[in-house]
Amino acid sequence: MSLLTSARPAAGPTRDGRGPAPSRPAPRRPDVYRVLSRVLIAVLVVVQVYPLLWLFLSSVRTEQDFASASPFSLPNSFTLDNFARAFDHADLGRYILNSLIVTLGADALIVVCGLMGAYALQVLGFRFSNVVRGLFLLGIVVPVQIALVPLFIDYAKVGLLDTYPSMMIPLAGFGLPMSLYLFSSFFGYIPRETYEAASLDGAGPYRIFARITLPLSVNTIVTVVMVNSIFIWNDFVFANTFVLSEGLKTIPVGLQNYIGAMGKTDWTATFAGVCVTVTPLLLVFLVLNKAMIYGLESGATKG
Amino acid sequence: MLPSRSRLSVAVFLIPPLLLYGAAVLLPIVQSLALSFFTWDGISDMRFAGFSNYTFMFTDGDFWTAVTNQLGYLVVCLVLQLGGGLLVASLLMSLTKGRELVKVLYLLPAVISTVAIALLFQRIYSLDPAGPLNRFLGLVGLESLERPWLSDVHTVLAAVSAPEGWRFVGLYTVIIYAALLTVPRELEEAARLDGANQWQVFTRIRFPYIGPVWLTTSVMAFTYAMRGFDIPYLLTNGGPGQSSELVTTYMYKTAFLSTDYGYASAMSVFIVVESLVAVGLILFVLRRKAV
Amino acid sequence: MKRSLTPAVVALSLSLVLSLAGCAGEERGTGAKDVDPSGAVTPREISWLLSRPADGAVISTMRELAEEYAAAHPGFKLNFITTPDRPSYIQKYETLAAARKLPELFDTDATPFARKLARHGRMMDAGELLRSLGLYDRYRPAALDYQRFDDGSLHMIPFEYGAEYFWYNKALLKKAGVNPPKSLDDFPAMCRALRKTGVTPIALDGQDQWPLERYAAYQPFRIAGPSYIAELAKGKAKFSDPAGRRTVNWLSDLGKAGCFQKGFSSVGYSDAQNLFTSGKAAVYNTGTWDLGTLATTGLNPAVRDDVDFFRLPVTENSVTGADEFVAPSGIGMAVNSRTYDPLVRDFLEFALTRYPERYAAAGELAPTSDVKTAIPKNATPLYSRAVDAAGNVGKEVAVPWDTQLDPTSNNKFQQELVLLVQGDTSPSAFIAKMDAVIGRNAPRYSE
Repeated sequence: MSLLTSARPAAGPTRDGRGPAPSRPAPRRPDVYRVLSRVLIAVLVVVQVYPLLWLFLSSVRTEQDFASASPFSLPNSFTLDNFARAFDHADLGRYILNSLIVTLGADALIVVCGLMGAYALQVLGFRFSNVVRGLFLLGIVVPVQIALVPLFIDYAKVGLLDTYPSMMIPLAGFGLPMSLYLFSSFFGYIPRETYEAASLDGAGPYRIFARITLPLSVNTIVTVVMVNSIFIWNDFVFANTFVLSEGLKTIPVGLQNYIGAMGKTDWTATFAGVCVTVTPLLLVFLVLNKAMIYGLESGATKG
Repeated sequence: MLPSRSRLSVAVFLIPPLLLYGAAVLLPIVQSLALSFFTWDGISDMRFAGFSNYTFMFTDGDFWTAVTNQLGYLVVCLVLQLGGGLLVASLLMSLTKGRELVKVLYLLPAVISTVAIALLFQRIYSLDPAGPLNRFLGLVGLESLERPWLSDVHTVLAAVSAPEGWRFVGLYTVIIYAALLTVPRELEEAARLDGANQWQVFTRIRFPYIGPVWLTTSVMAFTYAMRGFDIPYLLTNGGPGQSSELVTTYMYKTAFLSTDYGYASAMSVFIVVESLVAVGLILFVLRRKAV
Repeated sequence: MKRSLTPAVVALSLSLVLSLAGCAGEERGTGAKDVDPSGAVTPREISWLLSRPADGAVISTMRELAEEYAAAHPGFKLNFITTPDRPSYIQKYETLAAARKLPELFDTDATPFARKLARHGRMMDAGELLRSLGLYDRYRPAALDYQRFDDGSLHMIPFEYGAEYFWYNKALLKKAGVNPPKSLDDFPAMCRALRKTGVTPIALDGQDQWPLERYAAYQPFRIAGPSYIAELAKGKAKFSDPAGRRTVNWLSDLGKAGCFQKGFSSVGYSDAQNLFTSGKAAVYNTGTWDLGTLATTGLNPAVRDDVDFFRLPVTENSVTGADEFVAPSGIGMAVNSRTYDPLVRDFLEFALTRYPERYAAAGELAPTSDVKTAIPKNATPLYSRAVDAAGNVGKEVAVPWDTQLDPTSNNKFQQELVLLVQGDTSPSAFIAKMDAVIGRNAPRYSE
């Protein structure tokens, strides 16, 4: 957070709008630009938040109320029936657990492989390191969908279809280049003298990695995990292609269960289901948003 | 270079990431290339097809419609994400209170799965029963604009692209905002003393200063937009007609619905080449500007 | 490093591709004809991949029967893998077939893709199987015919039976001064009259695409009978033929007359049904699976007494009769020949013998003709009339086109239909485009 506060000195307490500090000097005349930007910000906040609010409100309405009420009115009915039906229709707990397993697994792969790869490229260095670097950059650019057909065929051959790894491998593989890039640019900030001193003390590459590089990388690891988790948690295309059995469905694929036979959809139950599946990540996000935003910011400005 | 490194240690650190990356990304690319010269439906025998998948691709009107749509989708996403991100980040700079809260609220949509977003926007765009969007237009007296957004061939592409743009506005806002904070205050103050207005400060000082971050963000936004798939696929399945079919969804259907794996692979190869060329262009243009 | 790597990767992947070809040949588990394999019944877990409502009567009845069978055969279990959403289901089923991972039992319509599987000996001959179990003659001929491929072979077992009718709101038609149409060609005029009174003439679930595709099948079925679509799917008949032209122009007229609600292509099942049940739409075309909604006291009281139905109208010079219309026996169940063994046979015998009676007791129309549907307590008089009309059908059945066209043509057809009815493409452009698409794709499925 130091990033934020250092840039704006002495503007009173910048904690979320609890009124001006008493000791503040009189504000400058309110110029048009300021007022306009406040209004714009407010409008955009509404645009970003309103759909989600509507989602949560719809999940407690009765069917009739949902069908007839204006989307801008508060619900005139309150029911938890939708949640009961949502849990009947689909094994929501199972989906959340599966999403968690896949996300953690892929994150672990990305962090471990990213750290090792960046260490080899940036710290150890070798003759063709630029070629390897270029090869990894390819993965940042290429859309994930191209891997679907070949991977499907390969999985079918080696019996990996319909397993957790079938989702983790491509998610981690396509997430790897970006994290390699982030780790590499971070390692560039670690002064060479640190390594040289350690080498003189007789530490080999493994010990230096474990004693110096790894402990220093905690912040970057947080960044990498945060950015990748958003995409992995919400991955639809790999899960939809490689998962066949009910027991392995992740949230995005599981939510499709609500689209019934012939397309008959129970909307309020669907929204209740969506709310249940959105909540864990929202909670995590609200708790960790500082770390996440910090991660995004430092990742971006050092990149 | 570490003086104490050995060949073995390089290999130890390099092989696991290369294995993962090779299995998940490189091998599929090479396999796509190989498979694109065959005809295979998953049931019958594979047949060598030479370049016929490619010759068909270049004459397939549907494919080119999808390519054009993908470009439209890209434009909408980039304008919303980069333009929106830059606008909001600049506005945030003028806030003295509640910045953190605003940032969190903006990031909220990014954590929601695309399936949920597709379900949500299906209702938002609905005409009968009128969803939030059409109700809103009615409320502010723009009844003439009320329409079935997802059924009108002229609006559907924008309608399926907007949610994708909307999702990640917050993400790019946060990144660009962080970059703006690094702009030295002295530069801005000096410019203001010289009589520069808000706009000039922005175009002459701030924007050039954040050039490198802007480049990273552009490439990031571009590649994620190239991967666009979920929302068009789930919201309209490419319809009405082909108005919202992207190359990615068309490829997916060719592979997993028409079971024409060879032709789908040829499209994959096209996508890879197209992405490489596009990113090369972006880097080229932005680098030239930066100089 | 790279120099030695690239050729290796290329060689490796080429060998992978070629080895794929090696495993894609003909292979058979048990012969698809050998319906009575010898050996002991050893209980194990088997799976059924299906595309039916998870809380529907078919699944709940079969679940019950599977549990009873498991009680007598410890170690047996029937896993239900259900994907109700049809497009997702088709994708899953086709990819599983390509990966050779289809389970013991799987649902499929009589599509060209399924015919290809049957030709490769992947599914048991259902006719032989039912005969050997002594059940064949109990099935309604219409229910079995619906499952047949066009060469008359039978590879799927039906679990339901139904009929599709046009449900309509008498009061709204009266207000517009029109009678239920006597001929298909009366539809545009009816729509215009209804539009004038400010109601939606026909509620249509356009999002799921199959409902609009039903309308495409009607005119040819009346003019040319069921042979037209069979020939069209093979690429032998064309849209430029009289029957094809007729249906394309008719659909375009329906669009011009404003028959369907504005923006129908993005309206889903529930919303379309609500239009009708809330009295905003006058006509709604659906099957007997919706009886629980349309013919019970669960229906909105405001329209309950005004709802009635008519069967698919005829046209001038129809070759098919008024008692011949869409009477589907739903998606059928195929038995995987590669995993067929004494256990699967024994379980099927146990379940299929008892199934129709239980299913009919739940108020549903069974695929066999020897059981009577129990009319639920809250039914309106319409319920039993609808059931009786479904039991009284002629010899020819109108088949939905999405079960006949190959997947590529069908996808394109569904997309183009929306444009045709919305007025975004002209009938002549539609005909040219569809004939080209079918001409290219149909041959891939008929060797």
